[in-house]
Parts: sequence; structure tokens; C-alpha cells
Amino acid sequence: MIDIKKTYKNYVDGKYVRSESGKTYTKELKNEFYELPLTSKKDIRDAVTSSKDGYKKWSSTTPYLRMQILYRLSEMIEGNKESYVELLMDHGLTKQKATKDIDESIQNIVWFAGLADKWEQLAGNLNPVSEEYFNISHQNPIGVVFSLSGSNISLNELLMSILPSLTVGCSVISYSEENSVLALKFAEDINNSDFPSGSLNILSGKFENILNDVSKHVEINLVAIHKDLNNGGLKAIEQNASESVKRVFSKPSIEGLSSILPYLETKTVWHPKGT
Amino acid sequence: MIDWQYSESIESPDIVSIKKKYTNYIGGKFVEPKSKKYINTISPSTEELLSKVPLSNEKDINNAVNSAKEGFEVWSKLTPNQRSRYLFKIARLIQERSREFAVLESLDGGKPIKESRDFDLPQVAANFFYFAGWADKLDLSWATKSLKPYGVVGQIIPWNFPLLMLAWKIAPALATGNTVVLKPAETTPLTALLFAEICEQAGLPPGVVNIVTGDGSTGSLIVNHKDINKIAFTGSTQVGKLIQKSLAGRDVGLTLELGGKAANIVYEDAAIDQAVEGVVNGIFFNQGHVCCAGSRLLLQESIHDEFVKKLEKRMQSLRVGNPLDKNTDIGAINSKEQLDKITGLVNEGVEDGGELFQTECELPGNGFWFRPTLFTNVQPSYSIAREEIFGPVLTTLTFRTPEEAVEIANNTEYGLSAGVWTEKGSKILWTADRLDAGVVWANTFNKFDPSSPFGGYKESGFGREGGRHGLLSYLKASS
Repeated sequence: MIDIKKTYKNYVDGKYVRSESGKTYTKELKNEFYELPLTSKKDIRDAVTSSKDGYKKWSSTTPYLRMQILYRLSEMIEGNKESYVELLMDHGLTKQKATKDIDESIQNIVWFAGLADKWEQLAGNLNPVSEEYFNISHQNPIGVVFSLSGSNISLNELLMSILPSLTVGCSVISYSEENSVLALKFAEDINNSDFPSGSLNILSGKFENILNDVSKHVEINLVAIHKDLNNGGLKAIEQNASESVKRVFSKPSIEGLSSILPYLETKTVWHPKGT
Repeated sequence: MIDWQYSESIESPDIVSIKKKYTNYIGGKFVEPKSKKYINTISPSTEELLSKVPLSNEKDINNAVNSAKEGFEVWSKLTPNQRSRYLFKIARLIQERSREFAVLESLDGGKPIKESRDFDLPQVAANFFYFAGWADKLDLSWATKSLKPYGVVGQIIPWNFPLLMLAWKIAPALATGNTVVLKPAETTPLTALLFAEICEQAGLPPGVVNIVTGDGSTGSLIVNHKDINKIAFTGSTQVGKLIQKSLAGRDVGLTLELGGKAANIVYEDAAIDQAVEGVVNGIFFNQGHVCCAGSRLLLQESIHDEFVKKLEKRMQSLRVGNPLDKNTDIGAINSKEQLDKITGLVNEGVEDGGELFQTECELPGNGFWFRPTLFTNVQPSYSIAREEIFGPVLTTLTFRTPEEAVEIANNTEYGLSAGVWTEKGSKILWTADRLDAGVVWANTFNKFDPSSPFGGYKESGFGREGGRHGLLSYLKASS
């Protein structure tokens, strides 16, 4: 009897797609090997088009609903826990470590789910100006975020490169190199959690192939890099980003409230008081 | 009919004694520049030489940065309460010498004394007071313990609000425990150097505040210095991009306060007379040398003709002239270079087909002046509707629906500020939600307060100044 092996594809605009280039790269694990999409420039452009649309849908979803969709994601992962543990073990993790990683992942999703309808209260405030004006600072999500995940094989680390920006209403293009099998498996749970299409796109490949396309794309509002880059990669990204004053964060904080701050634009509105 | 005679009311320049030559302020001392070079600073309203200030070179910047590093060792070891008290003291000293600063600001920069006296100086003191109180409450400001000062901060500021921009930069930087090297603009260095005297009077530890003057090359030396931990820049988007590029790949923090091309949207249900007043204040305040100036007037079609008529009438009453005359509404353009830029863009607007209105008024013989200017019949593609003019020039566009107004307003790479005029509350909130702008003024314009965050979306820069959010520009999140 021959085993059936799963084919992993990029997850763009709510669909599983191959790279338009037709190119793949091989990921060999202990028991299994996978041919994964090698994302091209055109794939990035398609993802950005989808993310722009996804941003409109996701950022206008009520915080109450965003909270429930994120919570639904934790339910999905809980339900598929065994298969995640198995995949992590195939990457070389012990059963204990793999289980811990999934438990922490679920814990963090629940934490961010509960933050979805609270962060505006924590990050915004009324300002006590010294004249008769109503003055309030509140936040908008920054828009389309490109996030390069870290190199450790960990669902939790992958999530921490996505959840802070996703929770506040950004749409996210998550890009993975080393942990791409895990990321593309995770896409299935995203697909089953009622996220609007384009709110989270998940791609795999070699980052250096698309570094310039990402950092020069004017419709990506922020680039977050969650790992150390070789060969002046960060410098190249930041140089390209300066052409459109794009925000770049290298290894941003993932602690508590400070984790979401890079993804917010503060808007302050004034209005006179009077009769 | 009574024959009204205009009588001027000139503020005496004697209150401030301007030295023939100034030095840098480094390590708590006034020191001659190692470069041995100086640049002239003139009064833009008379073109007379006011003084000479150092054109600082690499050695001077080295000394300033080293001094700030040493200053940081001392400053960071003080208790938060001590840092708070220094800032309170500075605020008080500014209040006491405020008339002197106001006159100097108007002389060196050309802005009306009415504005330097009633707007700039009170705001400068208020900023130091506001941030003084944060210095010992940083642990309460944001729910995170991982925020730390950067260390040595390089600050480069523009010429439109010289001392106020200094206050916006220095007050929060010091309150959060950083030390600074600040470079005022080439054309308006004098109030910053007078501020150095305040630091001395306050007994601020040496090296906490260092002030070096020069031109763009001096600014670039600060940006590229290896021991700078953070750069805060206010100025043009063009220079901001260059700074962002120079810092690429370096572990240096950056906040940018760049240009703008704000839309001031007037709906047909606005209180028209109030709106006219607000639109005038929005563009002609400080000669239009304001990054958040309401330079694109968006009028709902149905009120266009009536509004323009009232606006032209109101503009005609603006008094252009001697900045030290207390009646002056519009002072001198800051420099010859800026005047040329404004003139060039206005000529382009006429060539493109824009309909030009300028007020009739006599302009002084010397100095740099520009008449309050209004363009109507403008297409969104004209450069006067797209580029930041940074002068007393207002461009009018029209719209039919709120959706169209928002679309036009956001159709720019800038995103600093915007204005909305309507008597309908729900329409204000609907519009404000959709505008890509860091500050939205509804039924008002150009209001500022130290407690109110200011800063842009998109190519208007990143980071906020003022308010609780302003603290984050000087605190580094470490995980």
C-alpha cells in the first residue's frame, strides 16, 4: 500500500496556489520530504494585491468579530495538535518540546484574541489640552505588513511574527524559509477560521530572491524581519525602504503591549467645545 | 467718513542683545568651532546681518557627541525626580525670558511678533512643563518595562518654528533620560544658542544638551556619527529619505517629521464664516511655512463661489510687513532660497492654467516677501496641488460627495494633517476615520498642545511628538 503525501502550496487570497514560476525547492525532513513553492516577484505582487483588499476587509471587521476569529484559530490548532506535534518531531524536535511549542502557541493565540477588542483602550487616550477642545488620539492599523519569520522550527515563533500585526487589523504577508512546511500547514487552520481572504497570506521560498521586490514595493507599508540576515540584507532592505519612507523593524519586541506598537499609526482628532 | 490712519506698533528690538559672533555649546561650555569657520545669519525682513555662527566640522561634531556620551553617564544616574526638576526649571526660565526670545525669533526668522510672542514662546515653555512631569512617571506611561532610553540622540530641526521645534525635540528626549546633540537650521540658529544660556542658568549637567550650528553638511556629520544612538529629524521629505537611507543597516533609532500637503475639506453644511477664518489661519499662519499647513482647500461644489468670494475679502485684510509690528499678520519669507521656490511653483501654477488671486498690499523694499495667494480652477495634477509649497499659497479643488472628498484628500504621498468643516457631527467622525493623516482638525485648524501627539502617516514620516505617544520616540523597546 503506497502512502499519500500532502503537497504544500502557498496560501494567497484564501486559495492554495503554486508559484507562478513553477519553481519549487526541496525540504527534507527525517521521514518525509516536500517540494515547496519558490515564491517569485510576480507571486509577491499578487500577494500584495490580495493583502490590500484583505486589509480593507479585515480592518473594517469589528474588534468583537476579530476576537472570535482569532479564538477560532486556537480551536483549530487544538484540534490538530497531534498532527503539529508529529510534524515538529519530523523536523527533529523531541515529543516534549514539540508539545510544549504547540501549547505555547495556543496560549498566545488566546492572549491576542482577547487583545483584539482592548488594544485601542491601551494605546489611545484623551489628551488634556489647555484650551476648550476635545482631543483624542486613537490608532489605525498601518496597512499591509510583510513579515519574514524566524529560522527556528517553532509554531509559536511563527505566530509571534504574525499575531501582533494581525490582531490590530493589519493584513499580513508571512514569508518563511526554514519553517515553511510548518507555515504552509498552518495556512490550513487559517483557512478554516473565517479570516477574510487576503488578511493573511502565507508564502515560502528563498527570501533573498524577493528581498528587493518586497522592500521596494510601495504598497507594502511595513517590513518586519524576525531573524538575522546575512550579507547586508537588512541594509539593502532599509535602503530600498527609504525611497517611500517605508517602516522597517528588525526583530521587533514581541512582549505584551510593545509588540503591537510598530503596527499602529496614531491619529489625533481635535474639535472645539462650545455652545 | 472718518479717514483711518494706520499707526504701527513696533516691538523694540533692544530687549535682546545680539552678539557679533556666537559659539557652539558643548559639554556645558561655549566653545569656538574647531573648524574656525562661521556662517552669516541675516534678518529676512531687512537682509541685514544679525550675527555669525559656527559652521561646525567633523571635529566639532565629534566633541559634541563625546560630550553627550559623557553627559549620558551623569544624566542616566540622576533620579527621575531630579531630571524632572531640571526640566521644570528650564520651563520657568523660558517663561521669564520669553519676550527676549520672541523678539529674537522674529528678527532671525521673519515671523510676526504676534505669533512668536503669543504662540511659539508659550508653547515652548508648555512643552518643557509637560515633559518635566513625565520624567518621573515613565513606568506609568506605557504598560511595558522593556522601554529604555537610546542614549545619545542627534536632533536636526527646521527654520519654521526654530525654538518650538527645539522644545519638541529636547524636552521629551531629556525627560526619557537621553542626552542630545541638536543642530538648529542654518538660517535660524540664534534662539537655540540663546537657549544654551538657559541650560547654563538651570545648572544642567555638562553634556546633557549640546548645541552645534552649521549647514546640511553638519547635519550629515551628526547622522553618520558612529556613536549616535538615535536621530530625530524635522524637515523636508527629500532630506528625510536621505537620512533614512544613510542609517540603513545601522542600529540607530529614527523618527521623521516630514512634509505635508494637507487637505482642508469644507462641506456645504459648514459654518461658512468660521470656516473662512479657519482656512485663512490654516494656510497663512507663519507665512505658510508650516508642514501641516492646510494648503489644499477642498470645497464642496455648491459653496465654491460664495466661499471663494468671502475668502478673498478676508485675505485682503491680512497685513503683510515688519515682523516686529504687533499688527503684522504675515511676516517675511524665511530666506531668499525659499522665496525663489515659492515664486517658481506659483509661476508654474499660472502656466498650468490655475486662476491666480493675490492681495493688494505694499511690500517693504528690502527683505523677502510674498503676497497671500489663492489659486482657483486647479486640476489635481498641477504641481501646486501636489507639491509642498511651504509658503502663503492656497490651492482650491472641488468635490461633490464625501467619498470624493476623502479620495482627493488621501490622493497624495503625504499624510500629516487634514481639516474637516461641517456642522454635522456624524460626518466629522465618518470623515476623520477615513483620512490618512496623523492629525485631523475638525472645525478648527493649526491647533497645537504639548499633550497632543503630532506626526504623519505615509511619506510625512514616522513617530509622534507630544503627548504620551511622544515618549515612545525616545524610548527603545527591547525584548
